[in-house]
Amino acid sequence: MKFAKGILFCLVIIATFGFSSLVDDPIPYKKFGYTPQQAAARLLDRFSFGAKPGQVDAVVNMGLENWLEQQFAANLPNIALEKRLSNFKSLSLSNDTIVNTYLNAGQVIRLATRKGIINRDSIKGDPKEYREQVRVIMEQEGYKPILELHRELVNQKVLSAAYSNNQLQEVLTDFWFNHFNVSVTKNQCQQYVYTYERDAIRPNVMGKFKDLLLATAQHPAMLEYLDNASSVSIKNQPRANMAAPRNARGLNENYAREVMELHTLGVDGGYTQADVTTVAKALTGWTVMPLAKDAPARNLLERLNPAQLERRGFVMKGDFLFRADQHDNEPKTILNKNFPANGGYQEGIDVLTMLAEHPSTAKFICTKLATRFVSDTPSASLIKNMVKTFQSTDGDIKAVLRTMVYDPAFWKKSVSHEKVKSPFEMVISAVRATNAQVIQPFQLFNWCTKMGQRFYYYQAPTGFPDRASNWINTGALLNRMNFGLAFASQKIPGVRMDLAALNNYHEPESAIDALTVYSNILLPQRDHAANIKRLIPLVNDDAVEEKISKAATVDKTAEQMILDKGTKNMLSQVVGIIIGSPEFQRK
Amino acid sequence: MSSRRAFMRSGAMALFATGIAGGIPAFITRAAAAGMPPAPYKKNKVLVCIFQRGAMDGLMAVTPFTDTELKKARPTLFMDPTNGAGKLFDLDGQFGMHPSFASLHPFFADKRLAIAHGVGSPNTTRSHFDAQDYMESGTPFSKSTSSGWLNRAVGLMGHDASPFRAVSITGALPRSLYGSQEALAISNLADFALQTKGNPMAANLTAGSFEELYEQTSNRLLNRAGKESFEALKMLNVNDIKNYQPVAGVVYPNSPLGNSLKQIAVLIKMNIGLEVAFAESGGWDTHFNQGTLNGVFARNVRDFSDSIAAFWNDMSGYQDDVTLMTMTEFGRTVAQNGTGGTDHGRASCSFILGNDVQGGKVYQQIGSLAKDQLEDQRDLPVTTDFRSVFSGVANKHLSINNNGILFPKWEGKALEIIR
Repeated sequence: MKFAKGILFCLVIIATFGFSSLVDDPIPYKKFGYTPQQAAARLLDRFSFGAKPGQVDAVVNMGLENWLEQQFAANLPNIALEKRLSNFKSLSLSNDTIVNTYLNAGQVIRLATRKGIINRDSIKGDPKEYREQVRVIMEQEGYKPILELHRELVNQKVLSAAYSNNQLQEVLTDFWFNHFNVSVTKNQCQQYVYTYERDAIRPNVMGKFKDLLLATAQHPAMLEYLDNASSVSIKNQPRANMAAPRNARGLNENYAREVMELHTLGVDGGYTQADVTTVAKALTGWTVMPLAKDAPARNLLERLNPAQLERRGFVMKGDFLFRADQHDNEPKTILNKNFPANGGYQEGIDVLTMLAEHPSTAKFICTKLATRFVSDTPSASLIKNMVKTFQSTDGDIKAVLRTMVYDPAFWKKSVSHEKVKSPFEMVISAVRATNAQVIQPFQLFNWCTKMGQRFYYYQAPTGFPDRASNWINTGALLNRMNFGLAFASQKIPGVRMDLAALNNYHEPESAIDALTVYSNILLPQRDHAANIKRLIPLVNDDAVEEKISKAATVDKTAEQMILDKGTKNMLSQVVGIIIGSPEFQRK
Repeated sequence: MSSRRAFMRSGAMALFATGIAGGIPAFITRAAAAGMPPAPYKKNKVLVCIFQRGAMDGLMAVTPFTDTELKKARPTLFMDPTNGAGKLFDLDGQFGMHPSFASLHPFFADKRLAIAHGVGSPNTTRSHFDAQDYMESGTPFSKSTSSGWLNRAVGLMGHDASPFRAVSITGALPRSLYGSQEALAISNLADFALQTKGNPMAANLTAGSFEELYEQTSNRLLNRAGKESFEALKMLNVNDIKNYQPVAGVVYPNSPLGNSLKQIAVLIKMNIGLEVAFAESGGWDTHFNQGTLNGVFARNVRDFSDSIAAFWNDMSGYQDDVTLMTMTEFGRTVAQNGTGGTDHGRASCSFILGNDVQGGKVYQQIGSLAKDQLEDQRDLPVTTDFRSVFSGVANKHLSINNNGILFPKWEGKALEIIR
C-alpha cells in the first residue's frame, strides 16, 4: 500500500514537472546490497546536514524517492526555524538600507571626517584614539557596526543548516555560495554578502545554472568582490555629468578571468588570455547602483530622468546598473564567436549565456556536483550521464542531481562513507544527531574556524576546496576531537542537549553498552562492531580500577567520573569520543 | 627503516613525555616500559618558506627604476630612489627596494639577503590556483604529480622521522607538503593538545580511545592524520608555546605572518627535528588601487618585511642553520590597469635570507621593459625558472643533491646563490 502510494506521488510529481526518465525505476540501492534503512541513511548523509534521531525510519516510511522529491520541492513549512530567526534585525533588509545603516570602514571615515572627529590630514593615522568618539556618533546617528551584520549572517547560516526542514536547499546554498564565492574580508563587498546569499544564491540553487550565473554576475557582492564594478572601457571617457566611480579609469579583468576559470568553463575549458581580456571588455559598464546616501553619484542619478537614461542604453535592475557610457562598443570575438559592435547591455548577457551553455561548463559543473555528493574522485561514467542531463535540460540542477542519485555509481559500496565532512558539516551533523538546542550559533562558527573553515571569510574566489585532504591534517583533526569532547560535555556556551533523552532515559549498563547504543543513535545504519571490539580491552583493563583509585586519591571527582558509570559525565565522554571519532568525520 | 623510525620515535616520546592533561598516558608508559633510551634529534638545517599568495607585484617590490618604459607604463605607480620621502632603497644603481622594506633592507646591505628577479614558471598560466599548484608540486606541466616539492625534499634528506620534520603553520596542509613523508599543519600550535579537563585517568581513557579508533579506521587519510596527531601530541608541551618569549627587543607584528613565523621560531628552538617550515602571506592580488608609498601594497610589504626581520633577529644563535626563502605564483602586468592596480602577469621576485647566502645582490637577467620585449606584449618575461632558485637553496642549504627527484623532468641549472 505504502509502495503504491509512493509510486502515485512520484507520478504526480513527474506529471507536474514533466520528467520522463525515472517513472519505472526506484532508486537502485537494492542491487548494491543496501537495505532501505541503509539507503535512507546514505541519502540523509549526502543530501542533508545529517540525520536527526529517528529520521532514517521516517524517510523509509515515506519512501526514499518521495523524500528526495520533497527536498527538491523545498517548500516544507519552517515554523521552528522562522521563530529562531525572528529576532534577527538584518535578514529582510535591502542593500540600500544595509549600506546606509551598517557602515563599512570607508563610510565610517567619511562620517568621522564630516563630524570633525578626524581631520582630513590624519586619516592615515592610527584610528584607535578616535574609536570611542566614532562609536558614540554612530549610535547617535542611528548607524550600526558592520560586525553586527556579519554576526547575523553567520548565525542564520548555522541555524538554517541545523533546523531547516528543507535540508537540501541549505546544503546546496552552502555548495553554490562556495562555488560563486565572495568574502566579507573585502571591504567593498562586505555589506552585500548577506543579500547575495539570500537573493542571488538561495532562490536559485535548484533552478537553471544559467539563472544562478546571471544572478551572481549582477549582484553587488560579486561585482565588487571581483572588481567588475570599477572596470570601464578605456575608449569611452566618462561623461562630464556622470561622476566616474572612484579611480575607475579603465579595464580590470579579474571577474572576466574567474567567471571562466572558476564559475563556468574550468581552467582547462579552452579559453585564452585574449578571451579573458575580451570578456572583460564585454562586461565593462556592469556596475552597482550608487547606494550610499553620501555618494555623489547617487544624487546625480536620482536627478536624471529614467526614460532618458533608458534611451541612452542604461539598464537598472534592482541594485545592478549598466552604464552605457562606460561600455566598450567595439566588435569582439570570444571563444571564436563574433559579437558585433554596439552590443550594449545585451552583449554581456549573451556572453554569460554562451559560457553557461558551453560543453566545458556542463562537464565542470557536473564534476563539481559529483565531487560534493558522491566522492572526491567521481567516475567518468557518472559525469558523462550527468553532463547528458545538464545539456538536455538547459542546465537544470534538480534534473542533474536526480540523474546522479538514480545512477548506479552513486550506490557503489566503494564510495559509501568515503566523503569526509567539512568542519561545518561535522558541527551541524553533531547538532542534528543529538537534537541539540543552539542558542549561541556564533560559538559553533568559532569552532569551525579552528577546524579550518571560517565560512564567509574565505579570501580567494575558489571557495574552500572540496577534498578530504584539505580538511584532514594533524591540527584540524585534534580540533575535531576537542570539539566532540567540548560539545558533548556541554562546555560550548549556548549549546545544550539532553543526551539521556536520546535513549529514552534508559541508563546504559556500562561504558561499552553506552558506546554501542549511542553509536547507533548518532551514526545510524553503520557497522560499529569493529570499533567497539577495539575499545573493550581499553575500557575493561583490569588495571583501570587500581589506577582510578590511585588517581582518585588525588582527585575525588575522578572517582565519581569513572566509577559511577551511570552518570552524565560518562555519557558525555562516550558521546564526545563518538563525535570525535573517525567514523563521525565521514558521510 | 621502519623499525629504526619506530625506535627513534619511542625514544623521543619518552624524552618528551609531558603527558596529556598532566598525567602520563598509558601509550607513553607502554613505550617507556619497552626500555627505549631517549634519543634527542640531531640539530638539522632548517628551510623556512613563505608563500605570498595572490601574486606579488615584483616590479613594485624591487623596481628596475632605470627603465624609462616602466615609468611610462605606470604613470601613478612608479617610484624611484630620488622620489622625495618615499624613495626606493637603491640596491645597485638599477634596482630599488620599496620603502616599506625598511626593516629588511639592512640584511641586503650586510650581504645576507639575496633577491632573485624575473623568477617564474615556464607554464604561462595566469590562474592563481594553477600557478600555485605548479609551483608547489614543482612540475609546471604536470597536474598529476601527487607530491609537493618540499615533501620530496624532506624525503631526500632522509633524516630521523620526527613528526615535526615538516610543519606548516596553516589551517590546511599546503600543496608543497603533500606526499609520502609525514607533514603537519596547524594554524595555532597552542591548540595542540587534547582538551580533556578533569581527572587524568578519564583523560587518558579518552585519548587512548581516540588513538585506537583512528588506528582502526579504514579511511587512509583519517588513519594517517590520526597517527601523526598522536605522535606529535606526545612530543609537544603546549605550555612552552604559550609562555614563549622571543629574544629581547624582538617584537613580531601581530599579523598572520608574524604569528606564523613566531611559532616556527618556537619549533626551531625546541630542537624537535624541524627541517622544513612553511608559512603564508596573503593579500597580494592587487587589482585595485595598490598605492605607492602608502596603500594596500605598502602595508603588505611592511608586514612582510617586519615579520621576516623579527623572525631573523629572534633566530640569534640559530642563524647559521636557518635559511628563509619567499615565493609567489607569478608577477603582475608591467602596465598599471584602469583601476590603479595591476592584473595577473608572469615573472616576479624571490627573497633569500641566511648566513650562507651570497647576498647583497640581485640575481637577474631582466631585459628592457619596452612593450615588444614583454611576454604577450604585457608581462615581465620569466628569465629564471623558479626551480633554479628552489634547487639552488635546497642543494646547498639542505645538502640535497638529487634534482631529478626534487624536480622531475627538469634539466635546468641550480642558481648559485648559497655558499
